[in-house]
Amino acid sequence: MSWDYIFTVLPPMLKGAQTTILMFLAVIVLSVPLGFGVTLLMRSRVKPLAWLAHTYVYVMRGTPLLLQVLFFCFGLPLLPVIGEYLVFDRFISAAIAFVLNYAAYFAEIFRGGLLSIDKGQQEAAQVLGLSKWQTMTKVIVPQMIRVVLPTTANEAITLVKDTALLYAVAVPELLYFAQTAVNRDMRLVPFFLAAIVYLLMTLVLTIAFKALEKRYSFK
Amino acid sequence: MTHIIEVKQLKKSFDELEVLKGVSFDIQAGEVIAVIGPSGSGKSTMLRSLIHLEEVTGGTIRLLGQGLVEDGRYASGKDIRTITDRMGMVFQHFNLFPHLTVRANLELAPKTLKKDTTAGIRKRSMELLDKVGLLDKADVYPANLSGGQKQRVAIARALMMQPDILLFDEPTSALDPELTGEVLRVIKQLAQENMTMIIVTHEMGFACEVSDRVFFMDKGEIAEVGTPEQLFGNPQRERTRLFLQREKLEE
Repeated sequence: MSWDYIFTVLPPMLKGAQTTILMFLAVIVLSVPLGFGVTLLMRSRVKPLAWLAHTYVYVMRGTPLLLQVLFFCFGLPLLPVIGEYLVFDRFISAAIAFVLNYAAYFAEIFRGGLLSIDKGQQEAAQVLGLSKWQTMTKVIVPQMIRVVLPTTANEAITLVKDTALLYAVAVPELLYFAQTAVNRDMRLVPFFLAAIVYLLMTLVLTIAFKALEKRYSFK
Repeated sequence: MTHIIEVKQLKKSFDELEVLKGVSFDIQAGEVIAVIGPSGSGKSTMLRSLIHLEEVTGGTIRLLGQGLVEDGRYASGKDIRTITDRMGMVFQHFNLFPHLTVRANLELAPKTLKKDTTAGIRKRSMELLDKVGLLDKADVYPANLSGGQKQRVAIARALMMQPDILLFDEPTSALDPELTGEVLRVIKQLAQENMTMIIVTHEMGFACEVSDRVFFMDKGEIAEVGTPEQLFGNPQRERTRLFLQREKLEE
């Protein structure tokens, strides 16, 4: 293994890693709030809304993410009448599938987090005169964040690796460039390099979430 | 003489179970009421109804002359808030906000509701922490407090909103026996300052000492009312006598 070889294959892979990171950030930023919205819908007193939210979560969790990504990239344009308006950039289509899928998981995580908070918290806020919205934002959500941080970290790390599914719809990202190099050069090195880059990304996440957990320890 | 609290024929059922079967009483400003009775007698439900943590199925509650419920019909949401804002409540399990420091627990509601300037709120929170003897714990999180300290913080937090009436739902029941004293001392001090209070309690000695009147509740009704001397010294009804005997045996 020579350094020269590493320096030739690494630049395109790092470029691909940018796509990986971009996808990761887009999905996290969009799916967390969307997931929380779904959580609130699942708890809604309007039964049809709650039912709809539960069904959504069931479908997104009950089918493979790869199927969803393929569906949004290649399936949507095949829909009658509206299909022709649903042709997006592949990255965008895949991102939509990822966001919808991860929002469903986050919705379930947040629902569990809300369930874990004692009813007395809401009562204490109510007798102090806080409105429902103030109670949610100032009392319930900060406590929910502490509860859901470890599982959210887990999901975030899974997401980093799931971005490799972009390979299946030919959006060039980290793994795509590694695989291309392996095929072309018949060498294993690019796979190891890709693994190292993934590990670095998950390491950064692990450290970031540990810091968040510390901030939310309330001790 | 106007009453600060008027309750007439309060009824509350959970499905088939009738928890309150027509509870009526009046309380004057500055009075301290101890509510005693066996568990399941409806004490807590009665107390929680006053501050709208429970919806009653019938009856009337008026606070400072304003109707929270009139004959089973609730006031509008906005009026309910204005009326219940005159009251504070202290819970059995403290219900402090674990994600906030002691001081932030006190200041959250007044700051959120803009009751005063930040400086005014800060001054008041420090005064109240001093009053309950916890000035040195201002920057500590609730997880690092003993039960007695938590309950004193909860009392100070309720006082931040300057209520006219304070409700206590078994404030010492979750405490180790050696920690009840510090909480009862704070409540006694409030009684001396003429705070109107309703205290649901199992501490018979304390009820006797601090209250102006005692309500004995049993099976969803107020079975007997009297001054502590009357009710503890010479109970009129058989079930009051039985309950007090049983309590004595436990002590």
